[in-house]
Amino acid sequence: MKIYNQLNVFKNVDYVILIPVIILIFWGVINIYSASINEYPNLYIKQIIVGIVGIFLMLFLSTIELRKLINISLILYGIGIMALLFVLIAGDMVLGAKRWINLGFFSLQPSEFMKVLVILTTAYYLSDKKSPISFIDGLVILLIASIPAFLTIIQPDLGTALTIIFPVIFIIFVYGIKKRYIFGALLVMIILSPYIWTHLKDYQKNRILAFINPEKDPLGTAYHIIQSKIAIGSGQITGKGFLNGTQSKLYFLPEQHTDFIFATIGEEWGFIATITILTIYMFLIGRILYWGIKIKDNTAKVVCFGAVAVLSFQAFINIAMTLGIAPVVGITLPFLSYGGSSLLSFSILIGTVLSAVSTFRKEKIQF
Amino acid sequence: MKKDRIYIVVLVLGIVYLVLAGRLYYLQVKKGDYYREISTKNYVRLYTINPPRGKIFDRNGILLAYDIPTFSLVALPYIVHSNYEMQHILNMLKDTLNITPSQKVIEAFSKGLITKVVVAQNLTQEQIESFYNKFYLFKGFFIEVIPKRVYTSYAKYMPHVLGYVGYPSYSQLKKNPYLRPDVLIGKSGIEKMYDDYLRGSPGYRAVIVDAYGRQKEVLWEKQPKRGKDIYLTIDARLQKIAYESFKESGHPSGAVVIINPQDYQILALLSYPIYDIEKFTKGMSAKEWNQLVNNKYKPLFNKALYGLYPPGSIYKIIVGLGALEEGIVNPYETIESGAVFQIGKWKYRNWNPAGCGNINIEQALEMSCDTFFYQIGLELGVDRIVYYTHLFGLGEKLNPRIERKISRIPSPDWKMEVLNENWFHGDTINLSIGQGYLAITPFDAVKIISPIANGGKIFKPQLLKAYFDNKENRLYTTKPVLIRSLNVNSFYIKIIKKGLYRVIYGKRGTAKILRDTPVINAGKTGTAQVSRKKSKKEEKETKWELKDHAWFVDFYPYKKPKFSVAVFVEHGESGGRVAAPIVKDIIEKSVIEGILDEDI
Repeated sequence: MKIYNQLNVFKNVDYVILIPVIILIFWGVINIYSASINEYPNLYIKQIIVGIVGIFLMLFLSTIELRKLINISLILYGIGIMALLFVLIAGDMVLGAKRWINLGFFSLQPSEFMKVLVILTTAYYLSDKKSPISFIDGLVILLIASIPAFLTIIQPDLGTALTIIFPVIFIIFVYGIKKRYIFGALLVMIILSPYIWTHLKDYQKNRILAFINPEKDPLGTAYHIIQSKIAIGSGQITGKGFLNGTQSKLYFLPEQHTDFIFATIGEEWGFIATITILTIYMFLIGRILYWGIKIKDNTAKVVCFGAVAVLSFQAFINIAMTLGIAPVVGITLPFLSYGGSSLLSFSILIGTVLSAVSTFRKEKIQF
Repeated sequence: MKKDRIYIVVLVLGIVYLVLAGRLYYLQVKKGDYYREISTKNYVRLYTINPPRGKIFDRNGILLAYDIPTFSLVALPYIVHSNYEMQHILNMLKDTLNITPSQKVIEAFSKGLITKVVVAQNLTQEQIESFYNKFYLFKGFFIEVIPKRVYTSYAKYMPHVLGYVGYPSYSQLKKNPYLRPDVLIGKSGIEKMYDDYLRGSPGYRAVIVDAYGRQKEVLWEKQPKRGKDIYLTIDARLQKIAYESFKESGHPSGAVVIINPQDYQILALLSYPIYDIEKFTKGMSAKEWNQLVNNKYKPLFNKALYGLYPPGSIYKIIVGLGALEEGIVNPYETIESGAVFQIGKWKYRNWNPAGCGNINIEQALEMSCDTFFYQIGLELGVDRIVYYTHLFGLGEKLNPRIERKISRIPSPDWKMEVLNENWFHGDTINLSIGQGYLAITPFDAVKIISPIANGGKIFKPQLLKAYFDNKENRLYTTKPVLIRSLNVNSFYIKIIKKGLYRVIYGKRGTAKILRDTPVINAGKTGTAQVSRKKSKKEEKETKWELKDHAWFVDFYPYKKPKFSVAVFVEHGESGGRVAAPIVKDIIEKSVIEGILDEDI
């Protein structure tokens, strides 16, 4: 009876979401191994550990009632903001940007977690608001996202800042703010931008220009996009085989285990793998979108739409970047890229979505 | 939630999916063969196009350093590794090009490393031709144009100022993502301080080559940007004069700093002995290198900026001005200054056992009277002495680009922290005459004299007079930056100035040798004890390391000073007898060159 109860805890987990995610994490470890084994022999082990932690985290979160999770979001948001401030003051400098807090065994990137916390905080704020939301409510949730986004931009890290702000804009859009506000906001931005631009200091302009054209590496990104395209293209239909990718190993593809992991996959596993991964993402996003439409609870809706927004934004922009059809902005490929903070924060996000689904299923049974 | 917006979302997601899938199909299926060929045959090459570094001129446009192109044979070891047997390629290189690669290069070949290596530098016309004739025999090799730094004859007087260039170290590469292993950067001196002006940015060309290494298609190109030309504040003629004057003194080690007190532009900056800048860039044998490193006069070390030495009596300028401003002594007041100043059981002696008599502050400066300064220094107190020292800009990086080392200015807190000892009156007394724990750079010595010359102003020291912006096609000139005024009664500055005048023209002046220079000037001698232990007199006279340091600071012309000079002679024994004559020689040579009459 007791054992039955324990298993029962996971009865309501949506495995249609969980299993594709586990596949992606597993697939990520394999390719991180291939991409990094020559340069950093221990990286894949770290990813395995974080991956296991992430899977347990998702399962654990799925058993907790959504409301309980959402209720602590405001506190976590506050902690996250302080962590971002701490990074700016005392963070570790890597490649000209301050993004990490060094914990010794693990480098924490608070901005990665912030994008999930912003979604949860937005869900908390909107939990008793009716659709379409008012102009003021729209402004409030935009502010919730803007504070951490701004703190991330000045690190400087445009990519992550965009992933923080985009879900909220998406939520506002789907949730139904009046059309005139959307057009109004666009108009104000267009009118104000030249004014703001001329009033910026030179070094600020340079920073922004550096975002748009992030010369993270001295070669400029154009060369790497060429290499990335060659890597993916040379994989052809079935790929060169595991560990046989020459392109991504011989010519240094920048961050082949983080932002450019898709190039390694494309080279070694070919079109069959790349189209499968693309489809898995699409499937995952579709499933979460489905729950967002189906569940009537406001909180659950915001969580699901937020997750849809982050996942689709990061997955599709990252893939498009490696295919040479989007600018290089430095964002990770969800669950596949190397990076503990990214993997953990996505686990928390999916865990919250699973919690929303379980809560919904449980309540349905009860009524 | 609005239905129509959900439809829009689904539609957009669908379109994105189709675009990405279509792109994947295009790259991997449709053009897969093309990319496979490029990738498997290593047909993509990335060439670095090194721009020349900016030229360096002196303040009058005398060329000091510039770049010329040289040709290097470089190789990608992993291609060499997969195409040739080691012995075969070594023979080929020897027979065809007469090149024997270094052990490091051979190692790179046998390991098949990915990063490119330089096999041979400075190829001759003949070598280049035979390489191109037998290109097909050298897979993985190519010729690259590499700029080389060349120094003109004037540059050899200022190796420490110019510094040198080299390839970035591993740690530098890690720290700065803009650096590349094959692009030269400044490693010291001006080349380093103004590296961001001089370096420019390299260009790159990604090309597809055929099996013989011939360029077939340019995939992508980024043009190099040449570095900016810069004009130093250094006057090459004056630098040469400073070098020659020091050399003729016969002393083995020291420094000369000359600045314009009206704006702190650095006109000459000599650290002696110098090293051979040309040999240094050409590369030298291990033996030559060891000689340079182990030389006891430290030719590689820039003493003018980074050496720390006790200043001795030149420091009395600061103590004297502080005492006047704080009312410890008034300009006309005389103080009995004997041969010995006693406090408790401790005796502090005057350098001249005859004592000084009943003298005022001008006279005290004139004869550099220790017992006078013991008394006013003790009354002024260590805190106020330190305050005035910092006011002059000592121990402060007035221009952080130039100054890296700061002088050691002791205080009770400092002594407690470093030595864990209390501060005693004796420490203050020693400090009053620039002895004890105090140690300053020769560059800071010129900061002592300059505010007296200009009436109390501290400017930001400059080495860069102007730079040429290639993009805007325009010359940018550095403007003087006033950091602060001493904010001291200008009458007191005049009193000190008069005292310094008397050092040269007074009856008991310590630098009377400068009297017969053709320009009226004023200055202060300094002879600083090195060894704190009382060593035996004979030993002190014979052992170079134990001899006193000699200093002289000076400014001229007296009425409207355009030059302030600090001369430091390491273990030179006497400021008046050794350092002052060097200044005299510098002034005389400047007059002959006509530098003194020019507007600067």
